[in-house]
Amino acid sequence: MKKTLSILTLWVILLSACGRKAQSVPSESTPIRQEADIYPDYKDVVIPPNIAPLNFMLCDSLAQDMVVLFKGAGGELVVGGKNDLKTDIDTTAWRSLLRENKAQSIRVTIFARHDDKWVSYPPYTLHVAQEDIDPYLSYRLIEPGYELYRQLGLYQRNLTNFDQQPIYENNRSYDEEHNHCVNCHNYQNYSTKNMLFHVRAQHGGTIIVNNGKARKVQIKGDSILSAGVYPSWHPTQNLVAFSTNITGQTFHMKSREKIEVLDERSDLLLYDVEKDHVRLVLNDKKELETFPAWSPDGKYLYYCVAKEPAPEETVPDSLLGMKMMRHYDSIFYDIRRLPFDAAKRSFGPSEPVVDCANRHRSASFPRVSPDGRYLLWAEADYGQFHIWHHTADLFVKNLETDSIYALEEANSPDVDSYHTWSSNGRWIVFSSRRMDGNYTRPFIAYFDRQGRAHKAFCLPQRDPEHNILLLKSYNVPELTKDAVRTTPAALKKVIYE
Amino acid sequence: MIKQPKEQPAEKRRNYTLLILFLSLWAWSALYYAPVLRMAREYSFWAPDSLLMSYEQGRPWGPLWVFGLMLLQLFRWPVPGGALLALLLTLGTHLTAYCLRLRGWWRSLQFVPVAIFLCTVAYAGYNLYFEAETGMFMGVPALYLLVISVLALIIRSFSRNHHIPTLFSADGLNPKQTFTASVLALLPALLAVGITHWTRPFVRVTAQMQCQMMEQDWRAMQQTARDNGELSYRPIMAYYAIATVMRGEQGTRMFDLRMDYDDPHIQGFDKGENIGTNYYLMDCDLAAGLVQTAIHHGMEQMTMNGPNLRALKVLTKCALLTGEWEVARKYLHILEQTPFEGDFVRKYRAMLDNEEAVNADPEFKMIRLTEPVRDMMENQFIQPVFLGYNAALMEGRSINALWNSLSVLAYSKAMPQFIARCQPLQGSPLPETYAQALALMSAKQPELLQAFPDIQMQHTRMGAFLTHVSPLMGDRAGNAPNLYKQYKGYYPYYYFFGNLKATKKPDEGQSSSKSGVN
Repeated sequence: MKKTLSILTLWVILLSACGRKAQSVPSESTPIRQEADIYPDYKDVVIPPNIAPLNFMLCDSLAQDMVVLFKGAGGELVVGGKNDLKTDIDTTAWRSLLRENKAQSIRVTIFARHDDKWVSYPPYTLHVAQEDIDPYLSYRLIEPGYELYRQLGLYQRNLTNFDQQPIYENNRSYDEEHNHCVNCHNYQNYSTKNMLFHVRAQHGGTIIVNNGKARKVQIKGDSILSAGVYPSWHPTQNLVAFSTNITGQTFHMKSREKIEVLDERSDLLLYDVEKDHVRLVLNDKKELETFPAWSPDGKYLYYCVAKEPAPEETVPDSLLGMKMMRHYDSIFYDIRRLPFDAAKRSFGPSEPVVDCANRHRSASFPRVSPDGRYLLWAEADYGQFHIWHHTADLFVKNLETDSIYALEEANSPDVDSYHTWSSNGRWIVFSSRRMDGNYTRPFIAYFDRQGRAHKAFCLPQRDPEHNILLLKSYNVPELTKDAVRTTPAALKKVIYE
Repeated sequence: MIKQPKEQPAEKRRNYTLLILFLSLWAWSALYYAPVLRMAREYSFWAPDSLLMSYEQGRPWGPLWVFGLMLLQLFRWPVPGGALLALLLTLGTHLTAYCLRLRGWWRSLQFVPVAIFLCTVAYAGYNLYFEAETGMFMGVPALYLLVISVLALIIRSFSRNHHIPTLFSADGLNPKQTFTASVLALLPALLAVGITHWTRPFVRVTAQMQCQMMEQDWRAMQQTARDNGELSYRPIMAYYAIATVMRGEQGTRMFDLRMDYDDPHIQGFDKGENIGTNYYLMDCDLAAGLVQTAIHHGMEQMTMNGPNLRALKVLTKCALLTGEWEVARKYLHILEQTPFEGDFVRKYRAMLDNEEAVNADPEFKMIRLTEPVRDMMENQFIQPVFLGYNAALMEGRSINALWNSLSVLAYSKAMPQFIARCQPLQGSPLPETYAQALALMSAKQPELLQAFPDIQMQHTRMGAFLTHVSPLMGDRAGNAPNLYKQYKGYYPYYYFFGNLKATKKPDEGQSSSKSGVN
């Protein structure tokens, strides 16, 4: 028995030795001036104390080995790089490191072995914030495609580790009879107890999960343009504001923007979840109202609105889409809001919030911070589908001082669009195409008490190469405090019934 | 007493039936069907990385198809790929005979599974790889061999007769039976050749042209198409047009093929028949200079088929042409994970961050010549866009763009627009095809003779042509194939006898799977 145990122990030791290299800082190394080229770029970022390990790979063609030293006032961690110059940081050790260095800085030094000599790159810093980020991020994974879809799904990622679970996936193989798309997932006040998403094409409808119970509804009516589209669940009431849009898309033949998504018409709706009743909120024929978003106290409904371009050019309804296409770069959305009386369930007159059109700019997805102090939106040169607009950046308005500014530190030269606040208001997660211009990845940025965003970092993955190898885009990142409990099988049953 | 030599027992005699089967299968896959199988690999994707294979892995029978995809990669070179396929099928055949205890004449039944497999492959035509699961081609023989091997082991373990005959054992056959079995061993490959020849002759030609396109051997592509000019299929014409555009011969050689497209027998994802526009759309977009449109259709292919080498390579080229270096780097990195793509990766990696190198590439140089001058929307044009755009072309960046436009208009028989678009060519030598088209139109519009004096030279031939074909106009479709031999490449022939059924069957290519905004 003892012999067997000894052999087993030896095997465990041998296997461990094969899996991870000895983790010790080289006794001698030569500092070099050149900054380390790491992927993803995690240099000098502010990170939540509960975030998963920030694994990275060192892009150094001369390096044969590497060691990384994370050193903070509260403790340190030494990580040996694997042969492919990637880190695989132990989650428990990392968690402990962040806990010990909460609200402090961690100095990161990368050592690389060039032949038989070790060099050390100039260190960089990870600032560990005081405030956690909500532990779950849900998103849709879909090819950054154009019109077609096949396999796609909504997924939730535990941000404190690397677990990703499907919320719902459509068919794995193409099946004409059951082919469908899912989109626009939305939660009530960061809780998954009440949530919704849409199913398009076969088995179409809106899946509402209310108090954990799922059902499919059709948000339609005689005066409603299409179905419910962009949703926002009231923070306290069982009410969902939707836009309803007649949407078309067109494809550029030379511009890098690639795709334009245009609304011919759009209105705002209010859907009562309990009564399964929908009513129009705004339906001005000359205006395009969309992207409803409740303020955190539920007293205002923010939305975007654009005037129909070239009003002097009258066309029949059947040609409206062509007209929009001709004037696609002259459509500018402002942000406005409607006061809401929850007791009477009535809206007051519309109030201007951000005037973009006069600056020949266009806003989308207004979202108010949980403390009600800041309004965050994506702004680009024109239009509303900023996920394909390379000029799209994140902007905020301080609702107390009315000052408007771009989140320079978080933005990039490429697309920065769909965004969400953490429930404590200290973090924003948004989609960005900054890595390669085509595939969106979620980026996380710290938003400090002074209303300033800090350098954003990419969602960490166990294998840092993941972001290069993945041929899907992350759509609509939404933070939640808890995981979706309704199983994919239960959702499938509701969708197919 | 002289001892007579003993007659060799039947078991000791050699039987080369399976060797014949192996060689015939090898010849079929490494020689006859090699281009098709190489293209099957191009339409597939395999990498050791689990993330890259997650799409395939997650599908029904995913692990098996992934294994099949791995084996298929060997068809980068059909000789070793063919050897592997032949080996799988030969061993499977051998064990079939053992498991079913086939003896004597019944032994011939061992060839039935392989014959069914090869005939199915041949009959599938384009659907071996296009809008189909490419992992099946090697996955099915591998699975069959696995199952039959397990069965053989079970039989061997529980049967009193433990003997599994060796590959070359005669196993009780007399010489006559051995000879017959040897002839029958050739049958699966011969049947597959027959099916291809009589029902899917266009598949090998198209695949051959695509292989030549990968080598950028435009002249060979044209030659392959012309050698098979009587095969009238859209994909062949599309790849012929690409080669012709790449050689700048739009004005002289575009109408060399018979164009009255026959059914390519393509079954799409929706299980409905379609005319296969998606087969060549991405390649035609790129050759026409419509890089963004090629990206559009490349992305759609990746979405519907999952990652595949072909789409990744075209998307890499597109990203280099649009200067999207990071996404080009991404695609090259992914291609680097797949086996045997080192040459492609090395060639195009050298162009990263280097617009001069991109512009100096001969293929890219030709594509640049016809890129749109200004941004437009695909939806503004008749589909497919590479035709619609050129039919409506108002400004181009080179004479090649004008030639593309004139060729499309001539192809569409849109003569008023063709004549109007010819105006810039006044005073300069007219390419042969355009001169023929204008000469044809000058019968109704004599003023063309003044604007384009060159076309006078066409009149003698055209007069003879019209005299010859006038009595045949009553049955254009019926007479077209016979006249093709005589008037191959002559535009008036195309005008009267070509492309007659083009509008009869609508393209149902993507319609059923369109979704709108994603």
